[in-house]
Amino acid sequence: MYDEIIVGQGLTGLLTAIWSREEGKQVALVSTGLGKIFQSAGVLDILPGEDSRFADLMEKYKLNTCSRLTIYEAAKKYFQLTERIGYPYQGNIEAPITIITGSGNLKETAFYPDTIKPIPEQGHVVIVGFEEVVDFLPKYVKGNLQKSRPSLHVDTMTVSLGKGSSRTMSQLDAAHLLDQEKVCQHVLDQIKIKMAAKKIAKPELFIFPAALGFNKWRKVLEQATIQLQAAITEAPGMPPNATAIRLHDKLKKEAIKLGVRFYENTTIIGAKIEDNKVQAVITSANLEIKSESYIIAAGGMLGGGIEKTATGYKDKVLGLDLDHHGCYMSCPENVWLVGASNGMNVTQYGITGGVYSILSCYQTFTARKQHMKLGGLQHAKL
Amino acid sequence: MQNYNFLDRSFDACLKCHACTATCPVSNVSLEFGGPKHLGPELKRLTDNQQVIDDKRIELCTLCGNCDISCPENVHVSTLTAYAKAIHADIEGTKLRDHVLSNAELVGVAASAFAPITNAAMTMKPVRQVMQIVLGIPAERKFPQYRFNNFKRKYRKTTSETKRKVAYFVGCYATYNAPEVADSFVEVMKHNGIEVAVPKQKCCGVPMFANGKMEQGLKNAKYNIESLLEYTRQGYDIVLTCTSCTFAFKKEYINYLQSADAHELAKHVYDADEYLRMLKEAGEFNSNLAPMNDKAGYYAPCHMKGQGIGNPAMDILGLIPGYEIQDVAAGCCGQCGTFGFKEEKYEISMKIGKSMSEAIADADADYTVTECGMCRNQLEQLTTKNVKHPMQVLAQSYVKNLEESVHASPK
Repeated sequence: MYDEIIVGQGLTGLLTAIWSREEGKQVALVSTGLGKIFQSAGVLDILPGEDSRFADLMEKYKLNTCSRLTIYEAAKKYFQLTERIGYPYQGNIEAPITIITGSGNLKETAFYPDTIKPIPEQGHVVIVGFEEVVDFLPKYVKGNLQKSRPSLHVDTMTVSLGKGSSRTMSQLDAAHLLDQEKVCQHVLDQIKIKMAAKKIAKPELFIFPAALGFNKWRKVLEQATIQLQAAITEAPGMPPNATAIRLHDKLKKEAIKLGVRFYENTTIIGAKIEDNKVQAVITSANLEIKSESYIIAAGGMLGGGIEKTATGYKDKVLGLDLDHHGCYMSCPENVWLVGASNGMNVTQYGITGGVYSILSCYQTFTARKQHMKLGGLQHAKL
Repeated sequence: MQNYNFLDRSFDACLKCHACTATCPVSNVSLEFGGPKHLGPELKRLTDNQQVIDDKRIELCTLCGNCDISCPENVHVSTLTAYAKAIHADIEGTKLRDHVLSNAELVGVAASAFAPITNAAMTMKPVRQVMQIVLGIPAERKFPQYRFNNFKRKYRKTTSETKRKVAYFVGCYATYNAPEVADSFVEVMKHNGIEVAVPKQKCCGVPMFANGKMEQGLKNAKYNIESLLEYTRQGYDIVLTCTSCTFAFKKEYINYLQSADAHELAKHVYDADEYLRMLKEAGEFNSNLAPMNDKAGYYAPCHMKGQGIGNPAMDILGLIPGYEIQDVAAGCCGQCGTFGFKEEKYEISMKIGKSMSEAIADADADYTVTECGMCRNQLEQLTTKNVKHPMQVLAQSYVKNLEESVHASPK
């Protein structure tokens, strides 16, 4: 019935679904839960968990030299898409920027949304927290920041969102509040008063938690930039980060509008495999869904697509045999693996995503377009 | 008294990742609600086999099930919040208004018996002001119409003689408020050579669960399961036109009752469009559909999304030649069944509905298509577009085709 069934609703699943649908394919996306974007920071590192260069990525993930060119095309396609859906990403794989996280630690990242700015080596920055958001503590952030940026002049302040909450307020809650013009102005007014009181003049950058508006992030960012007369950055930390949830929300809406069929709240409980081809998958909703090909974007160990048991790795999607790297012993002809589904070699530090997600989606996309199985680790003999 | 220590250990898998709260329609517009993570798995973890905690904030849970859709660990969040609602209602008691609202069926029987009067009364300002003061039902809230000639009065077939047999669970809305939906369904089935039987049935229980009336809801559930299993065991398929009733049969009965009968029944339950899609795949679908040059916007109800069946309404309507339909990609409508009829929840209902109405306006279609009667109520209140059930569109296309072929054939 479908041309493609994609398993997983994380970044790789949604990207693959959108790109395939744009090619006119009939696409279904089957998912248990919303994928790992929800727990992510919304930025794409070269090797998540460590500062690295593109060469490190190539070595670590055993990529061939073609990948260097491919990544530029992949990034371009990703930037075009995020621009179109109203949440543009930018960045250069050869020149990652240093950003601040919600704990005040610095890390390098390659691709990031407009709400993220690099941390300068010198100059004057102000860290602003919200009284109501307990996950982000400006003084703690300052302490960590100054360890790596000793020559940076750092001020901190805490302002109020002016709203009570009957639950622990998250960064996302703050983002929804800041969408309201009144709340946003109230926050900016307090910052100006505190700047005057503390005699803070013309800092280069303001650091906020990842909470600068949700649907109206552009307006919030613009207002803050104009009124505070400085650059503004979000510092993603404890989930839910607005940086990440915006991305998921926009990608999903785009996929739905394009006509991707979402089979959610469901789990694949079996697969019919004949002649080394998957014929159909069976879901927990008693459905048998058929497709020409199947793309596994279930996030491997981290997304729940692979589970580690006492006897080794277990494939939770198709129930096939995996080797000691979590890779398929023999991959059915019409099955494609993207992102962390490629086994433990592409997963580390309990983090998935990063530049590899985009690259892997794009490689699978182009390879499928040519009806040739290029790239992708699943066919490499390790 | 409820069995407070109901068995559901799925909370063990909760990693507190926040996905449920981040996608909860109520949490996204209100800080008053404790959120599904806190009032679902966390509360259950705290109270499992311990003293019960009654948390008033659970009143704001609508049981839309978006939390279940979001959870990567398969925690039965909405089952846990449904029990938290039941505990709260048991301890705190139920308001008269919530008794009335949760008994959609009784209201349907009574209101449709005096339909012209009830409908007129519901549009009278003084009547509505009294209702707001006495019952706490906001005067501005639109109400669905009731029909004297309801579906129960006019359709009395209880068996089917065709090869494929369909037992139709009509639901309160298509029985008392929108018999045209039920009529269209029967028509569509007729065009596919299937005779429709209507078994004995009671309200599916969704409005009861949503108001914490778990015991009463489960009583209805057991009644329906018993009545419908008699049919499925004779080879009938159970087909529904209301996505919330379908959701109850497929998910809630199983999660709340955990009985073999509930599991057995669920295997035979289909949403109407899903059933037609199945017929299509089996090569039994009648595709003699007359072209329709409409541009429709599809609004997906939460209880449709939660079934994990893709988008059968769009799959089927897409088969009509010339018919253009696009999912408007809106979130929850904010009506949430009885929730939107309550004075103290009205503001939240309107806030949730805002992004839905913006999505409908953006799509700028000729009309909106949706399966859920309650979503339709909100769509009619907040948007300028007409709302149709997929069965109405399909029936129209079938009938038109028949008329055209009769017209075209020589006498």
